Amino acid sequence: MGNILALVQKEVRGYFVSPIAYVLLVFFTLLFGWFYIASLNLMLQLSGGNFGMGGPQVVNVNEFMIRPLFGNTAVILLFLLPMLTMRSYAEEKRSGTIELLLTSPLSDFQIIMGKFLGALALYTLMLALTGIHIAMLFQYGEPEWGPILTGYLGLILMGSSFISIGLAISSMTKNQIVAGVATFAVLLLFWIINWIGDASGSTAQSVLAYLSILEHFDDFSKGVIDTKHLTYYLSFIGLGLFLTAKSMDTARWNG
Amino acid sequence: MVEVQHLTKRYGSFTAVDDLSFQVERGEILGFLGPNGAGKTTTMRILTGYQPASEGSARIGGFDVFEQPIEAKRRTGYLPETPPLYPEMTVFEYLHFVARINDVAPGNRTSQIGAAMERTNITDMTDRYCGKLSKGYRQRVGLAQALLHNPEVLILDEPTAGLDPRQIIETRRLITELAGDHTIILSTHILPEVSQTCQRVVIINRGKVVAVDSPDNLTARLQGSQSLYLKIDTNGVDPVPTLQGIPGVVNVSSADYREGLSGFQVELAPNSDVRREVARTVVTNGWGLLELRAQQMSLEDIFLQLTTEEEPEHEDVPQPGASSPAGYEKPTEERIDG
Repeated sequence: MGNILALVQKEVRGYFVSPIAYVLLVFFTLLFGWFYIASLNLMLQLSGGNFGMGGPQVVNVNEFMIRPLFGNTAVILLFLLPMLTMRSYAEEKRSGTIELLLTSPLSDFQIIMGKFLGALALYTLMLALTGIHIAMLFQYGEPEWGPILTGYLGLILMGSSFISIGLAISSMTKNQIVAGVATFAVLLLFWIINWIGDASGSTAQSVLAYLSILEHFDDFSKGVIDTKHLTYYLSFIGLGLFLTAKSMDTARWNG
Repeated sequence: MVEVQHLTKRYGSFTAVDDLSFQVERGEILGFLGPNGAGKTTTMRILTGYQPASEGSARIGGFDVFEQPIEAKRRTGYLPETPPLYPEMTVFEYLHFVARINDVAPGNRTSQIGAAMERTNITDMTDRYCGKLSKGYRQRVGLAQALLHNPEVLILDEPTAGLDPRQIIETRRLITELAGDHTIILSTHILPEVSQTCQRVVIINRGKVVAVDSPDNLTARLQGSQSLYLKIDTNGVDPVPTLQGIPGVVNVSSADYREGLSGFQVELAPNSDVRREVARTVVTNGWGLLELRAQQMSLEDIFLQLTTEEEPEHEDVPQPGASSPAGYEKPTEERIDG
């Protein structure tokens, strides 16, 4: 356990001494802020735009502001999170430091968890910064707590899925650019995977729809924790970490 | 301490290590010698648990590196060919991280880091970033990393590569010092290093062991045939026919000619030491004997003999220099003539 903590701290440190952490934090909060203002404007239009109908209406902040905002956040993450994981293994393989980890008394599980939790820690910090925006909504409106918390849970789960796939891909190459681009492509594919479902049969459509990574997020931002979605994300994370372990093993044999 | 049995590593159809077996006793320094691509690094990577072997077994302190990798790794310190440093960490932070992943108890970390830094002479680099270090310091930080957790076995892949001559001497001295408490396996392509630091040498070529012995024994073993260097003043007489008449002398050839004096290379039959006879012959002929010495085969000669194509083990009489590849100059003894 202490070993995992040492690895997590090393990872987080690595993010902050390179520009990656700052670039991610700055652009994530910038983009989130942009979508925040956009959603706010949309909500204000909806609530205040129809005076002819008898004055301003009360609009549900959760439904018309927070839910679309979280939906947009999911898309930002699709673009940004590959940057978080692309160097994790690739850079260690390129520089040879992976040899230190693999010849130290660490299990593969510990190494993977160190990298996974390290990336997750920075991602959580990214999300924490958005708390400022949400807090302002509480200042001026009365949103419900429930859907916000489940929304964040959904973001954590979805982000963890992205991170686990990113780790798996990073562990397959020495080149971090390749890792980043491939991760982005795979995540994008999982986003649009149900788009071709429309023309095909209904069974195929439902399977593809089930696989789509963003499809499972919506319920969380509505305030619903459905075990179906929970299972999906947890399996996705499990699969990514399993592939990472297999890839480490393969690399070891092919050395 | 370290037992390697029938170790084989294949990459597809290429065999990098072929049925390698050797043992290293506690406190011993074993030198791993071989040309590039001989399988030195692969063997070391198997021993450190970085790679699995295709066949065979390796044990460190009684723990199988495949079956109980964590236990084996706990007892091993490893310096890979390129020191595995994180450029964004300072030397101290790096060593602290290494101490943590090697389960050094929190209370002992600072003292063990300090000891390792002192041993490798890097205390003045404590707060320097690893990425800013010179090659020599990188190598030494790598070494500090390997011995930080006081492992029973140290595996060093070319520990002196990239160091300047003074650092090389210091590093060799450090390795010799460490040998008492640690068992050391080091690989190198620098031959004098082996004869200076190692008690035993494993010469491998194309993944196979071609010789295991002490540097002295190796030299002795391959000295079935010796040659003498002879410098005499004959006042213009050609001494070659006379010298060749001595029993046990195989061939006499002119080696050099300097300041009016001829040096001769006298090759002898295996296991015959005829220095007395040669001296007597020279004296009875009234020539001036200026120099007479046995020429030792250097480790370079042995290395080349063992690793060249000609399978010199099957030759009855390995002749110093004779089976060396073309262009390879005979090493000369580091002695002053006259």
